[in-house]
Amino acid sequence: MAEEVKQVRKPPDPNSAKYKLGQIAAKAYTDVIEAKARGEKIGWVSSNFPVEIPETLGIPVCYPENQAAAIAARGGGERLCQEAEGDGYSNDICAYARISLAYAKLGSAPEQDMPLPDFVLCCSNICDCMIKWYENLSRELNIPLIMLDIPFNPDYEVSDAEVAYVKGQFLAAIRQMEELTGKKWTEEKFQEVMKNSCRTSRAWLEATSCAKYTPSPFNGFDLLNHMAVMVTARGKAEAADAMETLLKEYQENHETGKSTFRGEEKYRIMFEGIACWPWLRVTSTGLKSRGINMVTTIYADAFGFIYDDFDGMIRAYCKVPNAINLELARDKRVKLCKANSVEGLLVHVNRSCKLWSGFMNEMSRQIGAECDIPVVSFDGDQADPRNFSEAQYDTRVQGLMEIMEARKGGEGA
Amino acid sequence: MNTQELFETFRDAAAHPKKQLDAYLAAGEKVVLTAPVYVPEEIIHAMGLVPMGAWGADLPLARSKEYFPAFICSIMQSILELGIRGEYDGASAIVIPSLCDSLKCLGENWKYAVPTIPFIPMTYPQNRWGEVGTAFTKAGYERVIADLEKATGAKFDEEKLTASIRVYNRHNDAMRRLAAALPRHPEVTARQRSDLFKSAFFMKKETHTALVEELLGQWGEGSQAGEKVPVMTTGILCDSPALLDIFDELGLRIVADDVAAESRQYRTDTPDGLAPLDALSEKFARMGLCSVLYHPKKERLEYIAKTAKEKGAKGVIVVLTKFCDPEEFDYPLLKKACSATGLPVALVEVDRQMEDFEQARTLLEAFKVMLV
Repeated sequence: MAEEVKQVRKPPDPNSAKYKLGQIAAKAYTDVIEAKARGEKIGWVSSNFPVEIPETLGIPVCYPENQAAAIAARGGGERLCQEAEGDGYSNDICAYARISLAYAKLGSAPEQDMPLPDFVLCCSNICDCMIKWYENLSRELNIPLIMLDIPFNPDYEVSDAEVAYVKGQFLAAIRQMEELTGKKWTEEKFQEVMKNSCRTSRAWLEATSCAKYTPSPFNGFDLLNHMAVMVTARGKAEAADAMETLLKEYQENHETGKSTFRGEEKYRIMFEGIACWPWLRVTSTGLKSRGINMVTTIYADAFGFIYDDFDGMIRAYCKVPNAINLELARDKRVKLCKANSVEGLLVHVNRSCKLWSGFMNEMSRQIGAECDIPVVSFDGDQADPRNFSEAQYDTRVQGLMEIMEARKGGEGA
Repeated sequence: MNTQELFETFRDAAAHPKKQLDAYLAAGEKVVLTAPVYVPEEIIHAMGLVPMGAWGADLPLARSKEYFPAFICSIMQSILELGIRGEYDGASAIVIPSLCDSLKCLGENWKYAVPTIPFIPMTYPQNRWGEVGTAFTKAGYERVIADLEKATGAKFDEEKLTASIRVYNRHNDAMRRLAAALPRHPEVTARQRSDLFKSAFFMKKETHTALVEELLGQWGEGSQAGEKVPVMTTGILCDSPALLDIFDELGLRIVADDVAAESRQYRTDTPDGLAPLDALSEKFARMGLCSVLYHPKKERLEYIAKTAKEKGAKGVIVVLTKFCDPEEFDYPLLKKACSATGLPVALVEVDRQMEDFEQARTLLEAFKVMLV
């Protein structure tokens, strides 16, 4: 019997985008842990809260949604969801919220620790569920809650009334944070953060748009990993640098015929919805094994925070994916599908996210019709592993592949 | 009308909204549907239109599933189902506020599922206090007015709004006096109690106020006597006849409620001394104590415990609409707040497709045993 040879992993290249992005993502936690140890006040913040505010003020913050995703991806989702359910939270509630509320009670989790907050910063542009979640964190931990309300916009354009409402709150939130932490807002620092944020966003948009090449120079699942940096660190110079490195690598891949997608790219799809973190390998393998590359997701567009001034920044935050109406949400996706030669749409009907899934049926029908592509959905959850069936996923992906295959045959006939 | 006839009138309106709608349409009135939870009905009323509540119905779902996934609450699902089935045909528009994630989705789906009845969004601020918040509420109302003018041809007039605000404040007062009087009338069944509140969504407010005032006039002082066990209810809806019959059969008497479709509607009046649209915006700023309205301290939890105690309730029954995020998030903390004052809490999950209430009966039976 031959002796098993353990494959030795190559040390990562410190100049690679993967290394740089991994370091930034890890540093997002260590910086806050260190700040807390120094006695600084630290906050928990929702992912679409304008990162520019805490970044400009120099307030250390961490992101419960990222933590919940990390815990779920590392196998702790069910345990923490059950902990919350034991306290009376329905299992119908967003699994990120259940994980986070359970973590707030326990104070630690081996899958991903982060220090407990001295205040929480909530932005409602993702969902109203976020408001309830943060209200509960604030009450249970007896800490201040700063809430920036950016309402769901039923219209295609952002109105002046909305900008005025959000701007008033922005200014109030800055004052509140100054009082809470003793730190001061300076225009100079804001300009620097704004510059970094736009630079990072530009590089991200350009990098993700490299999927326009056939074959795509990257596997779309990469984006799910790199997203953490876009959420937590886009206002930092090192994030801009890392994203520009990523862009350079994708361009080089295209020029040299390489891709981070292993194997032949036979089909190109758009993946709709948040990843099923507890089943990341299964969902990824189900595609990869069939030669299906997920070339784009709405995240490619979602972090395009490009603006010139304070009002522009406000308008950008009013246009994040879950805050926009069906028509604008549809058109953004249609644009991505067309720009990246997408051949099929795979929709994650995410039990954790009522807002994302609540009008997805109609929207995906319209995207399918507009782009003339098949649409297939599967049931899942972003963090509760109990709400996903591997068999259903496999059957649905197989179905999608067969339709795409038949269409290719049709073209050649 | 005598008391019995009054109750029959409330029952008839509560049980047959379609009949009410058709009667208004036959009389040449224009009807505007109002979705949960808070629509500025005063504006609709001031424009000479009839606001009619659209809170869904207990019915099987078929067509709504083409739009909603299964995990959206049955209130939203059944509103859409009724719309697709044509039950609201003849209505001039539907106003849907933005106060929860599922309501936002209802509006987006409505545009395509029921294209014959225009969707009018009412986007509320959650930071509703102060100049910034009230200005945004006012902008939302102005948008509703513009959309209503377009959909119905009716015109808005500020003076008429002042008069309508008086009509609604008077109705609020009547409903609060009714809620205060109900504990002294143990002869009123849970279903009759529900009819009193539910009928308000389907009748013109002047008519409903007159009927409620007539009932209060006939009632006199009443008496606390009775063998039923006093409880408080909380939730979005508590109007299922099958569930309410269980309350009566088990001898549970609702002495107070914190139900969105009941008392939560009537807690806040529009203040005097401001221009009418500003006053209406200020009313929204003053609202709270509700699961769909942001409050950093969640004071509604203590409010419920305090009200239950004041009204002599021996326990709180949470009638939880399945898949309702705002209520589901509040429940664990509500339980804690009530426990801190020694109030037992029972949780009954409901949805509008429920036919078998035996589990609820068993739970409430056990709860009653605990209370006595």
